[in-house]
Amino acid sequence: MVEPAIGDPIIALQGVSKAFGEVEVLKDVDLVIPARQTTAIIGPSGTGKSVLIKHVIGLLRPDRGRVLVFGTDMARAPEKEIYAVRRRMGVLFQDGALFDSLSVEENVAFPLAHHRRDLGPAARREAVEEKLEWVGLPGFADRSIASLSGGQRKRVGLARAIVMEPEILLFDEPNSGLDPFTSDAIDELILGMKARLGITFVIISHDIVGTVKVADHVGMLYEGSLVEFGPTRRIVASENPVVATFLRRNLDTSWLAARLGSERVP
Amino acid sequence: MSFLAAVGRFGIFLAAFLRSSWRHPPPPGRVAEEAYRIGVKSLPVLLIIAVFVGTNLALQGYKAFAPIGGQRLVGMFVSMAGIREMAPVIAASMIAAKAGTEMASQIAVMRIREQIDAMEAMAVDPLWYLILPRLLGIVLVLPALTIIAIFVTLVSAYAVTVWQLGLNGAVFIEFARQGIQGVDFLYCMLKGLAFGVIIALGACFFGFHAGAGPEGVGRATNGAVVTVSVVVVFLNYLMSEVFYG
Repeated sequence: MVEPAIGDPIIALQGVSKAFGEVEVLKDVDLVIPARQTTAIIGPSGTGKSVLIKHVIGLLRPDRGRVLVFGTDMARAPEKEIYAVRRRMGVLFQDGALFDSLSVEENVAFPLAHHRRDLGPAARREAVEEKLEWVGLPGFADRSIASLSGGQRKRVGLARAIVMEPEILLFDEPNSGLDPFTSDAIDELILGMKARLGITFVIISHDIVGTVKVADHVGMLYEGSLVEFGPTRRIVASENPVVATFLRRNLDTSWLAARLGSERVP
Repeated sequence: MSFLAAVGRFGIFLAAFLRSSWRHPPPPGRVAEEAYRIGVKSLPVLLIIAVFVGTNLALQGYKAFAPIGGQRLVGMFVSMAGIREMAPVIAASMIAAKAGTEMASQIAVMRIREQIDAMEAMAVDPLWYLILPRLLGIVLVLPALTIIAIFVTLVSAYAVTVWQLGLNGAVFIEFARQGIQGVDFLYCMLKGLAFGVIIALGACFFGFHAGAGPEGVGRATNGAVVTVSVVVVFLNYLMSEVFYG
């Protein structure tokens, strides 16, 4: 399998529209996510961000348009092909989506147990412990899920998402429900993973500070439409009134100016 | 959702489940885990219910037949009503109430916490991983529980007949034997098998399609136990018509 070059289109949404009953959640969204870079999709709550990411995973099918991941149409391809794409992806859901009846080790090892049957229990344990170390939870393998804090659940969820060494990592609101300190720690964790793994990250978030820290590209979703998409620096200096208003309400712009060295900050 | 829409949705769910399940053997260890959970944990409640079903069958049988001098028929009444009808339905109702609600609520909670989505995102088919072991577990266990319920019902009815009503135990046993044939036990196990399939698929269907939040879990659990209970008694009627009609 040829590894995509940095910036190659790896995920493409083409004219994607989706409605639930009368409510149009995504409206004719065109989006290309480049390989081996970090793309953030920001926007207010209820604007369609999670619905968008579920289309990328293939959990939802668009009413119109196509969703291509590694060139595979995630709505129309045979199930075998969709599953093959999913094995190359890792997803961190909002609350971690960990299985409560399994231990931390069993959760993290879950994809290995199903897709890497060549690995014995010792090899699986080793892989689990390595990934737990990476996410800052060494020695947590035998803990129960119920004993974990919110931040720890996210870390275990991240360990599970990377255990299969995916080429794409999707984050659905990684900072939601966390206090500011833990949220900062998760941002640092994501930055660390970005440096370590060098793979494609797609982050759905309403946390602008975290987004600006980690993202190379930012897309703004507002009322189901992609109002702007581009390099982070350009987006935070955008003159689009929707983007500018959203950023101004959620960001200390003096901090941003200092961080980006930009004079033109809304 | 209208009744027809719900039936259609169940049909789609069933077709998807059958497609998933034929392909691979069940997840290792999960069938035994589910059989243990369903069987062993339901047994105490089932035994208690079966005891009092037996006692009441004996009492009511005596009340019905004694005025016409037919008290010796209590054994026949208990074996026919108890083995052919009460034991399978009681066992299924207990399993529906205990294991069925547990299945529906567990899966519903997984649905609302995105754990089923996570499983799909990890390219593991949730229909295969979650439902197949539960279905096989209950199918293994419910016929056996039905036979246990039959035995306990007969024993408790015998106890009431002899110690409370003062009738002859040997007469009870003789007429109980006359009321049934060997094939009745086969029919009971077939009923147990059919009811187990209904309980597992019904409970899991409702759990899979749970709406958001705790209300969604509650509605799924409630819908599962009500629907499954109604379908079981209706199916019992149909099967009795086929077997004994």
